[in-house]
Amino acid sequence: MGFPPTVSGPGALKIENSFLVPAPRDRVWRFIQSAEEVGACVPGCEHVDVVGEGKFKARVRVKVGPIKALFNIDIERTEEEPMESASYSTRGEEGGRASRLSARSRLTLRAAGEKETEVAYASEISIAGRLGRFGAGVMKKKADDLGGQFAEALRQRIADTPA
Amino acid sequence: MAEKVPVALFVNGENRQVLVDPRQNLLQTLRADLGLTGAKCGCGHGVCGACTVLIDGEAVLACLALTVAQAGREIGTVEGLADDEASAALVQAFVDCGALQCGFCTPGMIVAARALLQRNPRPTVEEIRHGLGGNVCRCTGYVKIVDAVRTASGAVQP
Amino acid sequence: MIYLEPESVPEAVAALAGDEDARCLAGGQTLMAMMNADLVMPSTLVGLRRIAGLHEVTETEGMLRIGAMVTHARLAGEERLEGARAVVTGSGGGGDDVSISGRLEGARAVVRDAARQIAHPAVRNRGTIGGALCHADPQADLPGALVAAGAHVEIAGADGVRTAPVDGFFVDYLESSLEPGEMLTAVLIPEGPQGAVGAHLKFSRTDGDYAIVSVSSVVAMQDGVCSYARVVVGSAGPAPLHLDAADALLTGSGLDDAVLLQAGDLLAAAADPVDDVRGSSDYRRLLLPALLARAVGAARERFDG
Repeated sequence: MGFPPTVSGPGALKIENSFLVPAPRDRVWRFIQSAEEVGACVPGCEHVDVVGEGKFKARVRVKVGPIKALFNIDIERTEEEPMESASYSTRGEEGGRASRLSARSRLTLRAAGEKETEVAYASEISIAGRLGRFGAGVMKKKADDLGGQFAEALRQRIADTPA
Repeated sequence: MAEKVPVALFVNGENRQVLVDPRQNLLQTLRADLGLTGAKCGCGHGVCGACTVLIDGEAVLACLALTVAQAGREIGTVEGLADDEASAALVQAFVDCGALQCGFCTPGMIVAARALLQRNPRPTVEEIRHGLGGNVCRCTGYVKIVDAVRTASGAVQP
Repeated sequence: MIYLEPESVPEAVAALAGDEDARCLAGGQTLMAMMNADLVMPSTLVGLRRIAGLHEVTETEGMLRIGAMVTHARLAGEERLEGARAVVTGSGGGGDDVSISGRLEGARAVVRDAARQIAHPAVRNRGTIGGALCHADPQADLPGALVAAGAHVEIAGADGVRTAPVDGFFVDYLESSLEPGEMLTAVLIPEGPQGAVGAHLKFSRTDGDYAIVSVSSVVAMQDGVCSYARVVVGSAGPAPLHLDAADALLTGSGLDDAVLLQAGDLLAAAADPVDDVRGSSDYRRLLLPALLARAVGAARERFDG
């Protein structure tokens, strides 16, 4: 019978998390300045282009069981305080299909000793169109999962990159 | 747009040929291609019961039945129940009991009740409630609908 | 989209091969809803209704083999879904259907009890056991019930047929362990321990809705001591929640309230439910021990009689 009903709406999806990266803050800061490096850590991200100062285009594939989507997204850095934090605004659309997403995200760095940095992120995502009809409960779990994968990939990638 | 495919349906005792998008559900076909607008689209995902029809004698939700997968099956809609004595008694009981207000859910209720009485000619109130559990009514509060089905079953005099 | 109706399992497997957006259509009670909402857009839909073997229920070597296309309505009325007979009689809770003859006993009754509480008559007339499993929704009733029953799944693919315990079949939300090109053909349900009783207790907002939390249990008692327990919780995470440690706590005990609460707390600590319109994650976790106590307590009372 059906599926969990529509409850996604503007601001319905909030994810936040923080994790430790085994590198000093200036290195983590340099790392997150690189769209290519960050893109490589985003699960399902197939492509990132720098299109201007603080402006990026990306293609991201997401999947929950049989539900699949490919989003073309535009990301713009809206605020930046070097070594401290950066805010982004994201807008995306499915090619030819009727879902749209928009998100506001903030990334914060805090030195945790000399060799470690705490990375915190918070995102508020709204999804409209066909994917907005999918149950928000599972969507949130999936978003948290993707956040966890992103954190793990970022940590791994920084650890694997020579200083 | 997907290429349309021909399907031979057997609806209310008649063979009907339709040309449909293979993704189309039976409710869309009944309403748009066959002009049978008794079954209603309340939700499109199987929670309201307004599109209940009979397939091979069983209550089924038309919005969750793929049209191309219904070839060879016997489809009965509320329109087709008009000539059936037991169904006529149900309809009359709905009228006598005042079991409808806006009427949107009524075709689904009648078909679901018909299927229930076919399986169980003398249902208890509890059994009627479970039998119509998948049919949502936003007006009546269900009391009169249960009364109507009991009346049609002969359990109580109208 | 292409629609096909093969008449044998090998033909169906061939139709699925090499196309990861091909899907099977069983009863369609969820897939059609998702297609109506444009959430799922199969390239090929392989209708299974003409494959006769998928509609059969047979008994083989102590197992009841239920074809993937057997509907919930048929399961709910399936007399052989009783397993080894319990001495006591009685009936489980919830959603009684007029077509069911009543008495539910034996370990396998957990499956029958779950089937009769799925949605409403029209959905049960079409929805199938195979479809319900492959959709892999942890909020649905049959996944947990089949884990509690210790069922196995029979899966056909290009390399032939394999069977596996149903426990490992549920991987994540809406994700099963089926590989691309594979299809589920049957569910095998063992008779279960002698004298056990199986029941599915569902707590939901309204009759027929998805469970806020559900507890599927198979319990046996001898002389006031629990000789077998297998409890599984639905709507408690990405897959049916089953902990050997919880079963171990119950087995050998007198199933007194303190033990039930202890097992419930253990499961609640392992639960990771969703937050949604049916209930918050915290609410579901709070409910769990109470429901477990109610479910297993009811089983205990049947042995007291």
